[in-house]
Amino acid sequence: MADADEDTTRSPATGAEQIETDLSDETQDFRLLNHLNFLTDTSNSSLPRRGEKDFEPNPTEFQADVLSASRQAMHNALSYPRIHAPKNQVVAFYSPDGPIPPPAHPVREPLEAVDEYRKTSNSEPKTNPSRVSEKGVGVSAEACVCVPSPKGTYFKSMGQADRWNRIWLLPEEALYMLERGSLDIRWPQELTGSVDELSIPMSLQAAYTCFIGRGGLTLERFSVYTGLKRLGYALIRGPGWDDQVDEASNAQDRALQLNPTQRGPGLGGIFSRLFEWIHDPLSTASTTTGPVVGCGIHRSYADVYRKLAIIPWYDPVTPQPNLEPSAPFRVVYHIYKPSTSYKKTAPPPPDFRIAVLSTREQSTLPTLTQLSALLHSTPLVPPHGEKMNRMMYMRLRHGYRNVILAIVDQGVVSYLRVGDAAFGKEKLFENVKPVAGTKRSGFSKKSKGS
Amino acid sequence: MDSDPPLPIPISYISNRYLLFSIDAVTYLRREHHICGVLIGTLPQIPQQNVFLGLPLELMPEEARLLVDKGVACIVDEAKAHAGMRSLLEGDRARYLRDLESQGQHAMRLQSDRKEQKREEALKKLDEKKAARARNSPSASAQTESSAAIVDIFNSERSNGNTSRDTSTSTASSRMGITPATSYPPLPPPSSTLHLPPPSVPASYPLFAHLHARGYFLSPGLRFGCNYMAYPGDSLRFHAHFLVVSYDWDEEIDLMDVVAGGRLGTGVKKGFLLGGAEKSKQEVENEADRVDSVRAFSIEWAGM
Repeated sequence: MADADEDTTRSPATGAEQIETDLSDETQDFRLLNHLNFLTDTSNSSLPRRGEKDFEPNPTEFQADVLSASRQAMHNALSYPRIHAPKNQVVAFYSPDGPIPPPAHPVREPLEAVDEYRKTSNSEPKTNPSRVSEKGVGVSAEACVCVPSPKGTYFKSMGQADRWNRIWLLPEEALYMLERGSLDIRWPQELTGSVDELSIPMSLQAAYTCFIGRGGLTLERFSVYTGLKRLGYALIRGPGWDDQVDEASNAQDRALQLNPTQRGPGLGGIFSRLFEWIHDPLSTASTTTGPVVGCGIHRSYADVYRKLAIIPWYDPVTPQPNLEPSAPFRVVYHIYKPSTSYKKTAPPPPDFRIAVLSTREQSTLPTLTQLSALLHSTPLVPPHGEKMNRMMYMRLRHGYRNVILAIVDQGVVSYLRVGDAAFGKEKLFENVKPVAGTKRSGFSKKSKGS
Repeated sequence: MDSDPPLPIPISYISNRYLLFSIDAVTYLRREHHICGVLIGTLPQIPQQNVFLGLPLELMPEEARLLVDKGVACIVDEAKAHAGMRSLLEGDRARYLRDLESQGQHAMRLQSDRKEQKREEALKKLDEKKAARARNSPSASAQTESSAAIVDIFNSERSNGNTSRDTSTSTASSRMGITPATSYPPLPPPSSTLHLPPPSVPASYPLFAHLHARGYFLSPGLRFGCNYMAYPGDSLRFHAHFLVVSYDWDEEIDLMDVVAGGRLGTGVKKGFLLGGAEKSKQEVENEADRVDSVRAFSIEWAGM
């Protein structure tokens, strides 16, 4: 009794320690930043270690001094300016109306349309991001920042080039780059009424004002985008970005996703059923007239167990009726690990798919309908590989479809991975011989059978 | 750092969220009003990490409401305020650009000074090394003299080359581009016509205001499955003491929630705090009375 209790109390404690070692989990003491000499040397800046905190305030002067030093350090770190050295300054222009041809080329719409920019940026144009702008620039209509002479490595994974070799950035891309100090965005000259060459640089505040809320970019979505970009992931918008459903493209996606699932396991299923039917000497089994396993000679436990499995179970590979994922449970970003070689013109299949929720708008877990609609909007990724074949619990954890929920609580992001596990597919009774020699062959047979 | 920004502090209302962009406002509110918020921006000096984040600071609606009710802050509709970019006066615009230019030049000068300093230090070290080597070498005095002369020649040449290079770079591009944090200036301070009504707050607000009034620093609590985390002092220096969950006074509380919260809280060395306002909204004239009627209970897993 005492032992059991100790065990249970110990396990949450170790979990807590793991949580606490995640540095981004808690407010860090900004004094630690003082050890970083980024002003003089940016090359070898490694992160400082987490500092010791006190238990509670006491009236000592020492504590007051430490606190004020911490605050001073925070103040200094936060007031570091975003400066652009002339050599690697990248200048961009904000285009409130979306992509437009360069001024030297014939412009179909008069520039006075710019006056309407408030309305357009507020009313969240409901166009598909993949749909190309009508003005013939050849980039997404959601793009709103133009980089006339792009340089640097960032444009390898961000932006879209138009016919004039300018790069157009989506709002989140532009804001991310401005925030990290890599892009100098200017107000359009028509807007600020400047007559000479000089244009006013956009402040961080102005950039947030203009880009957040534009074309479906909520602050939560941006927090997820920028948080993952900071860690080195590449992100592109997913099919669920727009809350409005685009029937045609969705149907196409669905067909693409469903076809392999229908073919593979469908055929296999028929085969195994046929096989079972031919091979089964116990077809006399019936719950109304006799024992579940049927009368007759039982040669192996496996057959008996298989007969006993009368409770229907959920098989994730069977095709489901078309469900439309409802907002906010929709895939809004495709994510690529830093190790994945990512090409923006031909993005490979993503490593992760993510849906973004805000706790202030969605305070409950998704319902089964919402969750299965979301899961079925992702392709079937059955567990495979040598390790997965060997380890059942890894298989269960991996699931057959998976999606990540990013839950944002007032700027604090937590990630949950939801996998569609198939417990019915794991026949424990086939897994009876843990002897080292026969283990491998037994397992590989089973993986084929399922 | 101790400079107080002019009151009321404008809180930017952007796309249903409350943000702060001014560093002075952030430190002032933290120091004087125990409002921490959550930093959500990238630090330009170390952009590839998530441990230390920078401006802007996101405020919970509760925090924004508390500040507005105290008269310390006001809510500004930034989308409307930034429409003012179109009607900037020519003089203001020119002055602003001049300011930015001089700031850029200043930054450039600072950086080139620093470079210069580093270079000189490196050169000095090199000279010292050479001198030490010359002293150690057992060769004749004449030889060392001549080599010293050669070194001198090299030195002078090198310094000449450097000065010429310096001047060329400084003439080619004399200033840094600057991305300012806020839009005020060039925009004039937001007029009261742009102020929005106080933010609407969730039902947990009375408990939030109650704990805040008792000196606790509060932050969003999703990571620990609660409404708020309560810190005994500034979260820069202290760990949280309580996981705070708010309930309505007559609300039935699921025992499982209490067990789960109590065990989680004890596991992470924090108390599990339940609380709520005794008076309902209908019983009182204003929110402040509800805040006074809040009662809180702390639950600890005794593990007997």
